[in-house]
This record gives sequence, C-alpha cells and structure tokens, in this order.
Amino acid sequence: MDITLIFDFFPKLISYLHITLLILVAAVAIGLVIGVVIALIRIYKVPVLNRLAFIYISFMRGTPILIQLFLIYFGLPALLTLVHIDASRANPLLFVAITYGLSCGASFAEIIRGAINGVEKGQAEAAYSIGMNEKQMMVRVILPQALVIAFPNFANSVIGSLKDTSLAFTIGVMDMVGRGNTLIATSLHALEIYLTLSMIYYGVVICLEKGFSLSEKKLQRFEGSLSAEK
Amino acid sequence: MIQLRNIQKSFGNQPVLKGIDLTVKKGEVVSILGPSGSGKTTLLRCINFLERPTEGEVMIDDITVSSQKGSKKEILTLRKKTAMVFQQYNLFRHKTVIENVMEGLIVVQKNSKETARKLAMEVLEKVGLTEKANAYPVQLSGGQQQRVGIARALALNPEVILLDEPTSALDPELVGEVLEVIKRIAEEGITMIIVTHEVSFAKDVSDYIVFMDQGEIVEEGTPTVIFNNPKEERTKRFFKRINREAGILESNLSSVI
Ligand SMILES: Nc1ncnc2c1ncn2[C@@H]1O[C@H](COP(=O)(O)OP(=O)(O)OP(=O)(O)O)[C@@H](O)[C@H]1O
Ligand SMILES: [Mg+2]
Repeated sequence: MDITLIFDFFPKLISYLHITLLILVAAVAIGLVIGVVIALIRIYKVPVLNRLAFIYISFMRGTPILIQLFLIYFGLPALLTLVHIDASRANPLLFVAITYGLSCGASFAEIIRGAINGVEKGQAEAAYSIGMNEKQMMVRVILPQALVIAFPNFANSVIGSLKDTSLAFTIGVMDMVGRGNTLIATSLHALEIYLTLSMIYYGVVICLEKGFSLSEKKLQRFEGSLSAEK
Repeated sequence: MIQLRNIQKSFGNQPVLKGIDLTVKKGEVVSILGPSGSGKTTLLRCINFLERPTEGEVMIDDITVSSQKGSKKEILTLRKKTAMVFQQYNLFRHKTVIENVMEGLIVVQKNSKETARKLAMEVLEKVGLTEKANAYPVQLSGGQQQRVGIARALALNPEVILLDEPTSALDPELVGEVLEVIKRIAEEGITMIIVTHEVSFAKDVSDYIVFMDQGEIVEEGTPTVIFNNPKEERTKRFFKRINREAGILESNLSSVI
C-alpha cells in the first residue's frame, strides 16, 4: 500500500463530489414535498390515499435501497413504454434522484407526521379561537412548529441518504464512487481509493452535522435554547 | 348581545352540560363560578365551537349557529366574533409577542402589516408589554405570557372575549398583574365571559354572576345578590367551602409568618 497515492486520488475523486451533492439535494427536495403531502394524508386519514401511503411507507422501509434503485431503473422505463415513452436513454441520474427522493419521502413523511402530532394541542385551539380556518391553522401555526420538532430526525435522515448515494454508481452514475471504480480498474489501488472516499464522505458528513446543529440552534431560538435575555 | 339557548353537551353518554340558557348584554362582564368538573370550561368552549354542542344554539349579534346544522363557514363567522384567553396561555410559540398579536389581524382580518403592527403596539401598550414586543413567549414569565394572550384576544376587537381561568396556572405573586389588566379592559366596556376561581375578583369586576354545578346553572344574578343572598343550598355550600379554604390558607400563612 502506498499512502501518498491518497494525495493523487483525492483531487480526482473530490471533483465528482458535486454529483453526490446534486443527488442529495434533489432527493431531499423531492422527499420534502412527498413527505409533507403524505404526512397530511395520513394525519387527515384521507380515504384510500391513507391506505396507499401506508403501503408506500412500509414498502420503502422494508426493502433495501439498492433493490429500490434497480426496481426504478428497470421498472420505470418498462412502465413508460406502456404509454409509448422511451426512457431507456434517460440519464441514470434521473432514476437515482427519483429513487432517493421516494426513499427520503417515506422517512420524512413519518418524521413530519410524528412532529405534527407532537405540536401542543393548544396551538391549534388558539389558532381556531382567533378565527383561522383549518388550512391557515396548519400552514401558519402547526407546520412551522412541526418542522422545528422534526429537524433533528430530519438531519439524521439526510446524513443517512448522503451515505446511501454511494450506491448510485451501480446503475452507471459517474459520482465519486463511480469515478473511484474506474480508477481502481486502471490503477489497481483499491484500498487507497476507498480510503480516500471514506475521508471525503466523512468530511462531508462532519460538515453537514455542523451545519445542521447550527441551523437547529437558530430554528429553536424560540424554544429558549439561545435566549440571552431570559 | 350573546345568547346561549339550551346548550347541551355529552361526552360519549356522559352528559356534561344539561341545557344552559344565558344572555350576555353588550359591555357586560359575566363570571362563571362553580366546583371542579361542573362544566364551566366545556360551556366556554361551546360558545366558540371549539367543542360542538350536542344540542342548542349560540347566537352572537346577527348570527345564530345551531349545534347540529352549524356549517364550517358559520362556525368560522362565529369565531371571528369571539376571542379566547386560555388557562395555559397557548401563545404561538414560534412567534414573537408582537407577531402573536398581529397574527389574527393579518391572517383573519386581512389588515396590512403596517396597520396590524400599529394596532398590536396599541394593545401591547394597554397590557404594559411594549418593551417585550420582540421577545418569544418562552422568554416571558407566566403573567407576561397571559397578558400577551389577553392582548392577542383584545386586538381582534371581538364581540366577546372568553376567558378560561386566566390566572389559575400562575404563581400566586403573578396573579395580581393579570387580574389588573382584565379589570382595566372590563372598565373599557369589552364584553367578557370569565371562568374563574378568584371569587373576590369576580365580585369586583362582574356585572353578573353565574353559578354552575353538575352541568346546570344553579343560580345567577348580580354579584350583590349571589354573594350576599344566595338562595340555593348548593351555592351556599360552595361559598362556605371557598371561604373555609381561604381561611385555612390565611391561617397557614399567619402560622408561617
Ligand atoms: N374531551 C372530553 N372528553 C370526555 N370528557 C370530558 C372532556 N372534556 C371534559 N370532560 C368532562 O366533562 C366534565 C366537565 O369538565 P369541564 O372541564 O368543563 O369542568 P370545569 O367546570 O371546567 O372544571 P375545572 O374547574 O376543574 O376546570 C368533567 O367531568 C370532565 O371529565
Ligand atoms: Mg375548567
């Protein structure tokens, strides 16, 4: 093993970091939309949809993300040919974003649902008592507080997703791991390359954690955690 | 004018309100007294339909909402004519003091932000909290939080403010400041229905007293009549107990001192 090779590989690999981050951002964005919608469907027990939402969440929880990735990668184009759309040449990044988005959506939905239920009941009553309708109550009073309650779990989930993106290469996405694999094929220095990759992932996770904990403090200022005046 | 007609409420098959009739005139302050579990909170919550009555109707001014037929829209109209002050304050935790007061002005009454801010400041002035305008509820004492709760209700200029034991979650030394604020707005002619255990305060501030027990109005009348000449046995017993408890409290205090 040649540890100095890490200095060689580091710039080569980190130049693909933006692909990893792109997948993550897309997944979180899709996941947030799905998560809020599904959480509301489940809270209001919307007939039929509630049942479907339950199955969706339990399926995403009960199957490995790698299998989900392949299901989407092979399944979605197959479905689309039924309506005469040819998706066989679509950018694999698209399938990755959809898969991770769906996966994030399932975990966010449960996190958000728990958080909405965790908001004090008196908050909704106060909203109604000043004449708000149900939607105003939800959007202006409950959701903002629920998102703060959800934040720590949300942050954990995002970090988990970041690590999950390392599987994207399996359907041919050229991210850091994809690039790493091609380097391994040409240089035969697998250990050094994986070491480098682990350092990059670790570094990113540390940064994310730092960022999350700062935003958490900011978000929770009204919980008194930062209240200097108290 | 507010009129409750034959308000009944059951939880499951347990009747909690057994047909309450009550009329409150504009500008009147009505206090509801009664032992724990007599249905005072439930009655208050039936007035703004936080709890839908099983039977009866609520009339405020020109709108009448009936227990069963009352639509969402009617209930919303009714709620816009009322405001509530909660035992546990229930301030919006994610909003500052002034934002709490502005919220209804903007979202429900559709005022501009500037107008809302101006109105909110005026009301905060009344409850003596202008210097806390930008604090969050957690940064306030219970007494201050409740004064914000009162300001939030007052700002909407409702036909009636419903107060459910506004001081009973407070440390004893903070009760005074809140009662004082309520008294001040009572003198401004705001219509209020107050559920309270503060008997001497009720005597002081109310135009009318309602004594409830077991889901019924046992006795009602002016404070002079109810406190000096109660007719019903249950009312007499209630005041006797209250006086005894107050006495015990005082003798405890004096023995400590
Ligand atoms: N949501 C509910 N579900 C079932 N029972 C309820 C509910 N709310 C109140 N009750 C019951 O109704 C009765 C009256 O309650 P309520 O809270 O109105 O009394 P109260 O006069 O306000 O008492 P307190 O002085 O202790 O506040 C009680 O027996 C209570 O257990
Ligand atoms: Mg009560």
